[in-house]
Amino acid sequence: MKLDTKTDICHMFDFSLRIIASFLLLPGFVFSAPDGKKIYQTKCVSCHGPNGMGVKGKYNKQLFGDLTPNQLSKIIEETMPKEDPGSLSPEDAFAVSVYIHDLFYSSIARERNRPARVELSRLTVRQYRNSLMDLVGSFRGGSNNAAEKNKGVRGDYYKSRNFNKADLVESRVDAGIDFDFKEESPIPGKMEPGEFTIRWAGAIFAPETGYYEFAIHSSHAVRLWVNDNNTPLVDAWVKSGNETEYKGSIYLVSGRSYSVRLEFTKAKQGVNDNKKPKVVQPSFVKLLWKKPGGSLEICPGEYFSTAATPELFISTTVFPPDDGSLGWERGATVSKEWDQATTEGALEAAKYVSGKLSEFSKSKDGESQRGEKVEDFLVKFAGRAFRRKLSSSETDHVKSVLKASSDIQDGALRILVWVLKSPHFLYRNEGQGGALASQLSFTLWDSMPDQQLLDAEASGKLKTPEFLGTEIERMLSDSRAREKIRGFFHEILLLNQAHELNKDSSRFPGFDSKLESDLRISLDMSIDEIFWDKKSDFKRLFNEQGFYMNDRVARFYQQKNPPKVGFEKYNLDMGQRAGVVTHPYMLSMLSYSAESSPIHRGVFVARSLLGVNLKPPPEAAAPFAASLHPSLTTRERVVLQTKGGDCMTCHGTINSLGFTLEKFDAVGRLREKDNSKVVDSTGWYVARDGKKIILENAVGLGLFLADSPDAQRAFTEHMFHHLLKQPTRAYGSETLGKLTMYFRENSLNMRKLAAEITRLACTASLSGNPQEASKQP
Amino acid sequence: MANKPFNRRDFLKNTGISAAAFPFLGNLEALALPGNNQKKQRMVIFFSPNGVIPDSFWPNEEGENFNFKEILSPLDPFKKQTLVLNGVCDKVRGDGDNHMRGIGCLLTGIELLPGNVQGGSHTPAGWANGLSIDQEIKQYLQKSESTRTRFGSLELGVLVPDRADTWTRMSYSAANKPVTPIDDPYQLFSKLYGKTKDKEILGSVLDPVIADLKKVSSLVGKEDRKILEEHAGFVREMEKEIRAMKGATVHAMLKLEPGIREENDNLPKISRMQLDLLHNSLMADFNRVATFQFTNSVGGARMKWLGVDEGHHQLSHEPDTNKVAVEKLVKINKWFCEEIAYFAKKLQETPEPNGSGSMLDNTLLVWTNELGKGNSHTLDNIPFVMVGGNLGWKTGRSLKFPRIAHNRLLMAMAHGFGHKVSSFGNPDYCKDGPLVLS
Repeated sequence: MKLDTKTDICHMFDFSLRIIASFLLLPGFVFSAPDGKKIYQTKCVSCHGPNGMGVKGKYNKQLFGDLTPNQLSKIIEETMPKEDPGSLSPEDAFAVSVYIHDLFYSSIARERNRPARVELSRLTVRQYRNSLMDLVGSFRGGSNNAAEKNKGVRGDYYKSRNFNKADLVESRVDAGIDFDFKEESPIPGKMEPGEFTIRWAGAIFAPETGYYEFAIHSSHAVRLWVNDNNTPLVDAWVKSGNETEYKGSIYLVSGRSYSVRLEFTKAKQGVNDNKKPKVVQPSFVKLLWKKPGGSLEICPGEYFSTAATPELFISTTVFPPDDGSLGWERGATVSKEWDQATTEGALEAAKYVSGKLSEFSKSKDGESQRGEKVEDFLVKFAGRAFRRKLSSSETDHVKSVLKASSDIQDGALRILVWVLKSPHFLYRNEGQGGALASQLSFTLWDSMPDQQLLDAEASGKLKTPEFLGTEIERMLSDSRAREKIRGFFHEILLLNQAHELNKDSSRFPGFDSKLESDLRISLDMSIDEIFWDKKSDFKRLFNEQGFYMNDRVARFYQQKNPPKVGFEKYNLDMGQRAGVVTHPYMLSMLSYSAESSPIHRGVFVARSLLGVNLKPPPEAAAPFAASLHPSLTTRERVVLQTKGGDCMTCHGTINSLGFTLEKFDAVGRLREKDNSKVVDSTGWYVARDGKKIILENAVGLGLFLADSPDAQRAFTEHMFHHLLKQPTRAYGSETLGKLTMYFRENSLNMRKLAAEITRLACTASLSGNPQEASKQP
Repeated sequence: MANKPFNRRDFLKNTGISAAAFPFLGNLEALALPGNNQKKQRMVIFFSPNGVIPDSFWPNEEGENFNFKEILSPLDPFKKQTLVLNGVCDKVRGDGDNHMRGIGCLLTGIELLPGNVQGGSHTPAGWANGLSIDQEIKQYLQKSESTRTRFGSLELGVLVPDRADTWTRMSYSAANKPVTPIDDPYQLFSKLYGKTKDKEILGSVLDPVIADLKKVSSLVGKEDRKILEEHAGFVREMEKEIRAMKGATVHAMLKLEPGIREENDNLPKISRMQLDLLHNSLMADFNRVATFQFTNSVGGARMKWLGVDEGHHQLSHEPDTNKVAVEKLVKINKWFCEEIAYFAKKLQETPEPNGSGSMLDNTLLVWTNELGKGNSHTLDNIPFVMVGGNLGWKTGRSLKFPRIAHNRLLMAMAHGFGHKVSSFGNPDYCKDGPLVLS
C-alpha cells in the first residue's frame, strides 16, 4: 500500500491547510473550565454591563482596546474586581479576558457587533465583466439562452476543396469534434476519401473564467474561430511541414456560450490540381482545449451547442480579487489597483466599441447622418451603462465632446472612457433611479439590467408585486441566473477553492485529469438538474441516487453498459449514496491522494451544510501519516490525532460527521474495508436544540441533512449572501428566520427561495429601508 | 509574433521610473531608451513583386563610373550612397513554384516545407523552413542592451491581401512561423502611439469623472461617502501621474489623415503614410530593422495614377515584344523606386538624433524582388539595390557577380551588423562565405 506522503499534502496545500487549520482549537477557548462567561456575569457585569458598554454611575465608558487576551489577563488579575483586586486566580482572569476579548473588546469583535447596513458597493469583478459584456451585447441582439439546449455541433460536409453550396453532401449534428477518418471518406459513397472539406459551427460553453487554450490535432489544413468570427484564433489553413498540433489561447468569461467554428480541408489551396491523380493520405481532426488550470482534453460534447450566438465583448483586464473575507464576494472596498484596473478596463472596452462604431451606431463612415446616429448610440450606451435615463447635462456633455473632436471615432472613444470610468457605471445603489431594475439584475444575474427591466422600471410597472413576480420568473429562466446559481453551489460545495485532485496512481490507476474533468461536469449536471427541476427539491441534494456518467467515469466506477455518447444517469451503489454529498467528485476532493479524510469531509458538512461556526486553531497541523500507523484505519488515526480534550471541542462535531462517509475511499468508491478492517461509518450530530442524532452511515447523514432545520437555515443564509452580497442582518434581524420559515413552508423549493430573497431585496429597495423589508407582508 | 524585446520590469529597473507611473507607460513609447554612443545601424528591406525589366534596370557599367537607367533614375541624388548588385541568384529549389519560393526563400535562403499550397507549376508547399534575415538581425540586436529597442523590428506592408499564404509572407520569425505584415497605417499608428494616445484620452475624462464622484457623494449617506472619497483620491493621483508623464514625451506624434481605406487607388497615399510612420519610429529608436512589402508575390496592383489600368502581375507575363507592356512595367518599377527615393530623402534630411550626420548614413535601404524577370519567372539576377547604411560597405558602385547564391549576401548583412554567422539558410549555398562588399 502506498501511503500519503508529505508531497501529497503539499498538493492540497491551499485547500487542506485552510481546513485543517480550522480543526484544532485554542486551548481553553470555549468549553474548558473555568467558565469566563460565568465569571464575567457574576463579577464584572454590574459595572461594565452585559456587552462592555459600561453602566451609568459605576463605570461609564465602553470597554475596548488592542491588548491580547494574555495582556488583558494580567491587568484583570492585578486590578479587578474593583472592590477586591487580586481575588481572581490567574486561570479565572485568563478565562474572563478571553471571554470579553472575543465578545466585545477586540477590534474584530467590535466590527462584528457593528450594526449591519446595506453598504454602497461597487460592482464586483464578476459583475463588472458581465455588465460590460451585456452592455456591449445589448446593441447586438441575440441571446445566450438557447445555447444550453441543442447539444452538439453542426457539421457541414463538402465533397470539394471549398464551401460551395452545390458540393454540400450532408449537414448533421456531431456530438463533438474528434474524428479519425483514416484513409476513408467521412461519408463513403457520397464523397471521395482524397478531397473533402468540413465546417463545424456552433457555440461552446465556458464553465470557468480565464484563459482557455484551444488545440487542434489534425493531419491536414485547419482553422478555428472562437467568439470573434473575423479573425481566426488558430490559422493553419496553410498546411506546412509535419506539424499536427495547432494552438491558440483566448480569455473567456464563465457561464456564457461563445460561437465556435472549425474548418478542415483535405484539399490543396491555390491553383486547382484536381486533374492530377491522388494518393489518399490518412486524415484526422480533433478539437481539444485546456480549461483554466486544467489539462488538455477533447472539448467535451456537453459544452457544445448548435445554437447561433453573437460575438461577445470579453473584458480581459486583470482586477484585484474582491474581498471575500465574509464568505462571499463584496464590492465594499476600493484600492489603487482596482482604480487602475477600471482605467485599463475602460480603455479596452472603449477601443473595442469605437473600433466597431459603424456596427454599433448602424451608420456608415461618410454617410450624411453619421454624426446624429453616433451621438444617438453614445447617449443610449451611457444610459444603459448608468442603468437610467441620462440627465440633460449628461446628454449635453456627450454632444459637446463629439462636437469638439475632429475625428468622430476619437470623440466616441473619449465619451466611452468617461462612461466606463464614471461611478454611475462602477457603483450600485447610487440612488439615482434605476435602483429596482439594478437590484433585480445584480441579484439574479450578477449583471446590469436589460432594456425590458429598465423600461418596466421607467413605466412604474416594476413596482407592482404581480409584475415583479413575472419578471423574477423571466429572469430565473435566463442563462445568467443559471450561472449565478451554479456559482452559489460552487461556493457552498467549496468547488471554487478546489485544485487539481492528484490521486495516487498506483492505488487508483485511471484517476487522471480527464476523469477529474468529467466528474466536474457530472457534478454540475446533477446540481443543474436538481435545482432547475420543477420541484427544485432541497432534499434531493441529500438523497439523489442517480449520478451522471460518461464512458470514462462509468468504467472507472465499474458500471455495466457505459454510454456510447455523452453522459447518462446511473444508479450508483444501489441505495448506499446520499446525493451530491456522496458524489464521487466531492468525496475525492475531500480526501488525500491515497486516503480518505474524515476531517475534510466533516468540516465541509459542519461548516458549509450545517452552518456550524468552527474557530481557527492556533497552528496548522499535518495529518498523521498512514505509514507511521500501519495497523490503524483512517478513522482510528483521526481519533488518535484529535483525542486531546482541546481538540475534541471542535472535533467532536467534525469527526463524527466525517466518519459517516468512511465507506467511500479517496476516489469516492464504495468500500467495505479500510486497511483490512471492516469500516465503521457510525457518527452523530448534536443539533442547536441540544438533541444528539445518531447517524449510521452516509444515507443516515443524508436523511438527517434533508430534514435538519440547521441545514435549511445555513442554506438560506448562504443563498442570501450569494445573491445579495450583503449580510442578512442588514435587512433586519428577523430576515434569516423568516426566510428559513418561508423555505420550509414552500416544500424546501430552492428556486422559490431564490425568488423570495430577490423579492425581499426589491421591497427593501422600494421602501428605502432594508431593515423594514422583512416586516412587509 | 515577434519576441518581446524585454519586459516592463526590466525597463523600469533600467530607467528608474517608479512603479506608480507604470500603467500609463505601458510599452515605453513615451521615452527614449537608454542612450548609447555607439554608431547606430539600421536596415529596411523593401519588396516589390513580379520581377523587373532588366534592360531598364541594370546599369551597363561596372564599378564606380556607372549610370542609372530609367527605373533606378529616381536614385540619382543618392548615387554615391548606392550599391547595385547584379548576378545575385536565389538558388534555393525544392517544393513550391517560383513565385512562392521567390518571396518565401528571398530573405530566408532556405527551402519551403511540403504543404498544401499549390502554385501554377511544381509541387505544393507550405511555409519557409527557417527564419528570415531581418528577424535574425533583429534577434541579434535585441540580445544586447546597447542595441535593444522597443520593438526590435517592424514588418510593414502596403495593400497586402488579407490572406495568409506562401505568396503573402516574406518575413519569418522561425521555421514555419511567418510574420504578418501590418499594412493598415491606423493599426501601425496605434502600435506606435497607442499608449500616448490613451494618456491623452484619460486626461480628458478626469474632470467629468471627478464631477460624477461628487454628484454620487451628494446622493448617498455619510457612511458611504468614505469609499467615494477614497476613490476620488485615486483619480487625483492618476491626474498627477499623467501630468508628470507629459514632460517625458520625446517627440510629437504624427497626425494621420483619417479615413483612408485600404483600396487599390489609395496605394500611393498609404505607402507615404506607412513610410512616414516608419520614419518616425526609426527616429524615436523604436526599432532598428524593418521590412516593407508592397502588395505580395504575384501582386496585382493597378497603378491607374500612372495611366496603367492592367494589374501588375498580368502585365508582367507579357512577352518582351509587347513594347506597350514593357513601357508600363518600367513605369511601375520606377514608381516603386520613387517611393524608396522618397524615404531615402526623408532620412537624409533628418540629422541622426544624438549623433552626427544624417539618418541615411546609418540606415541601409535594400530594395529587392521575388523574381529576376517577370515573364521568365527566373530566380537569377534578383534585383538587389542598396542605398545608405553603415555596414562598412563601399557604396557608389555597380557590381556584377558570376551567378552567386543570394545566401552569401544575406550572410554579409548579418556580418555587417557584427553578427558573424557561419551560414544562413541552406548551408550548401554559403560555402564561399559572406559576400565581400567593402
